[in-house]
Amino acid sequence: MTKLLEVEGLAKNFGGLQVSADISMTLNAGDRCALIGPNGAGKTTFVNLVTGVIPPSAGTIRLAGRDITRLPAAERVRLGLIRSFQVARLFKSMTVREHLELAVLQRDRRTFRLFASVGKVAGLADEVAGLLDTMGLTQAAHTAVGSLAYGQQRLLEIALALAMKPKVLILDEPAAGVPHSESQRILDAIDRLPEDLAVLMIEHDMDLVFRFARTIVVLAQGRLLCSGTAKEIVADPRVREVYLGSRADAR
Amino acid sequence: METMFGIAVDGVAYGMILFIISVGLSVTLGLMRVVNLAHGAFAMVGGYVASYAAQTAGLSYGLALVVAVALTVLATLPLERLLYRRIYGSANELAQVLLTIGLTFVIVAGINYLFGPTLKRIPLPEMLTGTVELGPKAIPTHRAFVIAAGAATLLGLWWLLERTDFGIRLRAAVDDPAMAAALGIRTERLYLATFALGTGLAALGGVLGAELLPLEPYYAIRYIVLFLAVVAVGGAGSIFGSAAAALALGIVDTAGKYLIPNFGEFFFYAALILILFRWPHGFFKGRAA
Amino acid sequence: MTSVAERPDPMSDPVSRHTPPAARRDLGWIGIPLVAAVGLAAYWLLPDDLALLTRIAASALFVLSLDLVLGYGGIATLGQAAMFGTGAYAAGIVAVNWINDPFAMLAAGGIAGGGIALATGALILHARGLTLLMLTIAVGQIVQEVANKARDWTGGSDGLSGIDPAPVLGLFRFDMFGRTSYLFALAVLVAGLLVARRIMRSPFGLACRGVREDPLRISAIGGSPKSYLVALYAVAGVFAGVAGALTAVTSGIVGLDSAGFPWSAEALVMLVLGGTGRLYGAVIGTAAFMGIHHILAASDPFHWMGFIGLFLIGIVLFLPGGIASGLERLGGLLRRKEDRA
Repeated sequence: MTKLLEVEGLAKNFGGLQVSADISMTLNAGDRCALIGPNGAGKTTFVNLVTGVIPPSAGTIRLAGRDITRLPAAERVRLGLIRSFQVARLFKSMTVREHLELAVLQRDRRTFRLFASVGKVAGLADEVAGLLDTMGLTQAAHTAVGSLAYGQQRLLEIALALAMKPKVLILDEPAAGVPHSESQRILDAIDRLPEDLAVLMIEHDMDLVFRFARTIVVLAQGRLLCSGTAKEIVADPRVREVYLGSRADAR
Repeated sequence: METMFGIAVDGVAYGMILFIISVGLSVTLGLMRVVNLAHGAFAMVGGYVASYAAQTAGLSYGLALVVAVALTVLATLPLERLLYRRIYGSANELAQVLLTIGLTFVIVAGINYLFGPTLKRIPLPEMLTGTVELGPKAIPTHRAFVIAAGAATLLGLWWLLERTDFGIRLRAAVDDPAMAAALGIRTERLYLATFALGTGLAALGGVLGAELLPLEPYYAIRYIVLFLAVVAVGGAGSIFGSAAAALALGIVDTAGKYLIPNFGEFFFYAALILILFRWPHGFFKGRAA
Repeated sequence: MTSVAERPDPMSDPVSRHTPPAARRDLGWIGIPLVAAVGLAAYWLLPDDLALLTRIAASALFVLSLDLVLGYGGIATLGQAAMFGTGAYAAGIVAVNWINDPFAMLAAGGIAGGGIALATGALILHARGLTLLMLTIAVGQIVQEVANKARDWTGGSDGLSGIDPAPVLGLFRFDMFGRTSYLFALAVLVAGLLVARRIMRSPFGLACRGVREDPLRISAIGGSPKSYLVALYAVAGVFAGVAGALTAVTSGIVGLDSAGFPWSAEALVMLVLGGTGRLYGAVIGTAAFMGIHHILAASDPFHWMGFIGLFLIGIVLFLPGGIASGLERLGGLLRRKEDRA
């Protein structure tokens, strides 16, 4: 199996405060992995470290065998490490189609063409139509994102990530803010992602996690608590303790 | 040696005028985050009022100064309520630029309508026309007066901001507006008072500096770039930053005129680009932070 | 960064809510032929005002360059005249010393304007807000100061005169009535509008819109916001440089004020009068501004300043999208009435 993302001994200190410590994990092609943990477990910090938003204090990150620990965020994106955002972060006045066009053009580094017409770039229209279809957004293609329903904005977030032909896709709470009844649409879309992709989903909603994930990684207090299949995780007493314990603390 | 001394005196005096006017701009920019391009127009209004008070109404220089500052503040306070309040905050910077350019145009046109396009003077009292002996050197009394006034303004502002209740609240609001509001500081009144302070300083500088920055209707447009440059280098909201930047600009500019008449301004703006490239929040703030 | 033009939420803007984006773009198609038609009509109707009309056309191209920077890139600048002045001087110097073909002069202006924009943009575009405003002003002041000191080349404060362009294409002489000047300027303006429109619908234009709305999101899809802004600034610099060169060709003289702060500020005023981010808004704004100037300044230049000042305050307070948005809103209202009928 191809190892796509390898994280070894990743750690982050803010001043004297250790927010992540000695996290190691591997994602292979085709993995569907969920990263869970109680609030404050360091999930967001982990995503920010891996995607290059903040630099790690120690450890290495490799993408498809290449050391990317010191690369800037945009460079990691170009190499195929893509994330979607927890809060939909889109260009309000652009249409759905324009978002995908921009993402595809950016991926192919064709955005510095000054005199080409977007509508006439070879292969672009077909690829965008394919993406729209995969995500069930064809009907909304010409709608400005500002007037799009929130669930559809989440779908567009995933479509944008997909448009960049990721090797590793990190979905940061893809169903956050979407009514429970509609989260199935998001899952369906995720199901249609290319099989050889490695997907890491950060999620609170256990129902969603169990429907999506083949493997689960649990973070607690900035450390890797355990990992395994969904069944193993449910049975693990440490996981119960962490979740119940943290709830008790919160009260 | 004699030239160097002359440059130093003229440069410091010029710098002090720039400081008095610019620090008003710096304070309003620091607190209300408003790029007020009409600040130069406010300084000009102060100068014209003093000129009218001294020449036509026959008031003494001192009295004309007081009247000019008071009238300018009174005349501009309604503007704070009607116009400026709508454009506070750093998100409105283009609206700020346009609105204050518009206001500047209106003031320029108004000043010309009332006073005509010719140069206006504020006659100096005899007390300020001679020279004062300073050990072996003699310096023009007016320059000495301007330098003293600038130093007094610096000390006065320092006292106001560091030692008074108003200053404490103002600094709190600059550091953290949300927190200040939560602590019950009434930002509306604070903004009004700060606006008045800024305008008053502009008017003061406009009157004191009339010998160095001559009063004519285009004054408002001609010198605003200088005032902005001082604030940009000094850092918004920093009193000592403004003073240092103004003195540096005053001395460099004056030295440029005496010594290398060719490239004075060029060097100043080149330095400004390099400084802002390295310290985008101003030389003095950038270093402190 | 929020500009006046984008401040109204797209949701609350009646035009974007009631017309699909495609229809809105079609409205843009009318703009350029309309400019050409009105420009030609003015040639027949106002034969005595060709000098003014020529200045309007050249200035509109300059304001268009500012629209690229501000309306499409969201960069607030008070130093666009640096590129205009550089282009004007480059064209003038080329014409006086080497070659006076008008197209060669435009090319020289465009290259010079684009070059200076590329060089200074790379240096200053990391900044934001007041710092960026100051930096753009400083660049303008430096260009002006260099032009002032390099007397041998630029004529210093006397201005660069003696520019005598050759006939256009070797056929049309620049006549004393300014007919050739005006038609030449109008043609360059329309060509400029077409090119600008093309660029803004290109992949590059799409990316620039993205940067204006959310630079961080552009980074997240692997793009570099600063390199887009620098490239856009350089492209706009080419337009400004060509506009400067066009002024040099049609007026035969280049002065120091062509690079000055007031000219940058005036361009900003004209653009906002017309409306940002629409291209033809630049033309409307310039025509309105300079037309009113011409009428009012005939009596007293200060009357005009007062009028434009009040107008500007009114625009900021009541019509943040400029004249063009007012027209579009009116158009939107009319269309809705038709729908109901």
